[in-house]
Amino acid sequence: MSGLGRVLLVEDDPKDVELTLTALAEYNLANEVVITRDGEQALDYLYCRGEFSARSNDNPAVMLLDLKLPKVDGLEVLQQIRSDERLKLIPVVVLTSSHEERDLVRSYRLGVNAYVVKPVDFHEFVNAIKELGVFWAVINQPPPGSLGKAQ
Amino acid sequence: MTIHPADGSTRVTAKRSLARWNLEFERGRPPIRYGFSVVCVAVALGLALAGRRYGFGDAELPLFDLAIVVVTWFAGIGPSALAVALSTASFDYFFVEPIYSFEVSRQELPYLFVFIAFAAITAWFVVALQGAMSDFSVPARSDSNAIEQRPAGRSDALRFLPIATALCAGAVFVADTVTTTDIAFSTLYTAVVLMTARFSSVEGIVRVAAGCVALTIFSYYLSPPVGPDYQGIFNAGIGLAAIGLTTLFAVQQKTAEASVRRQSSEIRKLNDELSKRARDLEASNDELESFAYSVSHDLRAPLRHVDAFSELLQKHIASSLDEKGRRYIKTILESSKRMGNLIDDLLAFSRIGRAEARTTLVSIDQLVKDAVAEIEQEIGKRNIVWKINPLPVCYGDRSMLRLVIANLLSNAVKFTRMRDKAEIEIGCVNAGNDVEVFVRDNGAGFDMQYVDKLFGVFQRLHLPEQFEGTGIGLATVRRIIHRHGGEVRAKGGVDQGATFYFSLPKAQDRPERSVKTS
Repeated sequence: MSGLGRVLLVEDDPKDVELTLTALAEYNLANEVVITRDGEQALDYLYCRGEFSARSNDNPAVMLLDLKLPKVDGLEVLQQIRSDERLKLIPVVVLTSSHEERDLVRSYRLGVNAYVVKPVDFHEFVNAIKELGVFWAVINQPPPGSLGKAQ
Repeated sequence: MTIHPADGSTRVTAKRSLARWNLEFERGRPPIRYGFSVVCVAVALGLALAGRRYGFGDAELPLFDLAIVVVTWFAGIGPSALAVALSTASFDYFFVEPIYSFEVSRQELPYLFVFIAFAAITAWFVVALQGAMSDFSVPARSDSNAIEQRPAGRSDALRFLPIATALCAGAVFVADTVTTTDIAFSTLYTAVVLMTARFSSVEGIVRVAAGCVALTIFSYYLSPPVGPDYQGIFNAGIGLAAIGLTTLFAVQQKTAEASVRRQSSEIRKLNDELSKRARDLEASNDELESFAYSVSHDLRAPLRHVDAFSELLQKHIASSLDEKGRRYIKTILESSKRMGNLIDDLLAFSRIGRAEARTTLVSIDQLVKDAVAEIEQEIGKRNIVWKINPLPVCYGDRSMLRLVIANLLSNAVKFTRMRDKAEIEIGCVNAGNDVEVFVRDNGAGFDMQYVDKLFGVFQRLHLPEQFEGTGIGLATVRRIIHRHGGEVRAKGGVDQGATFYFSLPKAQDRPERSVKTS
């Protein structure tokens, strides 16, 4: 396992997953990217339960969170994380199609670290993902206890 | 002989203001109210004694009753009880044989009994009437408070009125047979009022009144002669007049009550309708909101994918693409970008309708200068002559008005692109309570025939190859100006430039203005 932070991507749309991974790959970002497809799976991952019960008990360096998700939506996931003592320090970046002010306001109220609207233009999208990846997974110093360095 | 309760009941129809004053008085300190009671009874006693002294016999009963009515009406229940007690004592002492003593001869006992019953019933009647009045009065807000402040049980007293009536009538019948005092009339018209308070229809009231008139006339012929004949006619006349007045009052009250009921049911109906409308409106607003929300979320995602995968495809097969293939992919990319712009514009447009306007004093002059500075940066080395006249300060939402100015100025810049020397003038004209700002250019202009289409959503008067844009700018301008209570209009000619006007309410508050603009 790399010494780099792990990125947790929560995204229901497979095309968006592919594009995000493509964008990250374009920059040769070596960080491990964990993909969860809905809010419930994301929480399963964070709490090491269900299919993730065997994983090592550490937090991702950053979480890229879509808002519109099946089952448990992004804002609920965010709320859950922020109200949990063990998870509340995880940097969370909302990555969404929504320009809506109320989404912005509610996300920031819940203590999101960044809010990024997915650009329609592919180049801009790639740039945005690249910069996000670089900043949060490489440049930013994540809170203690979140690195996969133990191994 | 007995005009007192009629006096009380006509008073009822008299003035609402009296009742209000009465409330004020009731809230006054007890000594004043009880003092008022004593004074009233003393005045009645004085008048009765004077009446006896100057040969007007039998005036004491109506006078004391009148005093009780006045006290009850204006001072409330406690003072009323005091008035009844004082009147009874005075009556016993001064007017019941043997006079000047509290003793009562056996023969005069029924008379005293009738007096007490009559006084008590009169007081009761007034109290009930007040309660009924406040029940029927159309509840202006202050009045509904007043009703709550009234002692409870006043309108309950109404329920016992038929019993009271029967008692009263019985007492009077006894009194009439025992004494020579003719007080049947007063009882009859009192009964009319008391019973009509229970009757539901105007017809019923009229029927009872007719019966009373008949009885009055009947008893005039039957009763033993009391004094000279004119006295009997006088009594009968007063009785009839009282019945007439009381009936009039009762009918009027019934009618008012019915109209109040009709009005309130109408009001209730209108209210229901209104709240239903409000609910509908809220629902459609919510729908609109969620529509815009899902447009924002869901429409953009596939578009992003079209764009991104075309881009990836282009990269993937770049070497094997011929000229035609490249053009196809380029067209896909351009179209998806255009659609992205359209969605963004549409969302921004709908947001203007939903966003809350934050009204402050806005200097149009400053907005124009900012917009010009911004545009100058973007356009590079074009020759544009700006002519900026003095501009007003208006009330409005700063960010919305900034959008208006930015849209109009960038339009002017766009449509003067083919001019070697573009001239753009911004100024204002006075238009009554409004101030009208205009932006004039010497650009492509438009055909006045299509001026109505100019401000529509996605309406364009030029080909996309000539001038880019989605056609939402002027629609946005109009929407914002309408939200500010202003109007937009345009003037122009093909190749003769265009002038766009928008009006805004003037900022009237001079001191505030100077604070803001200084």
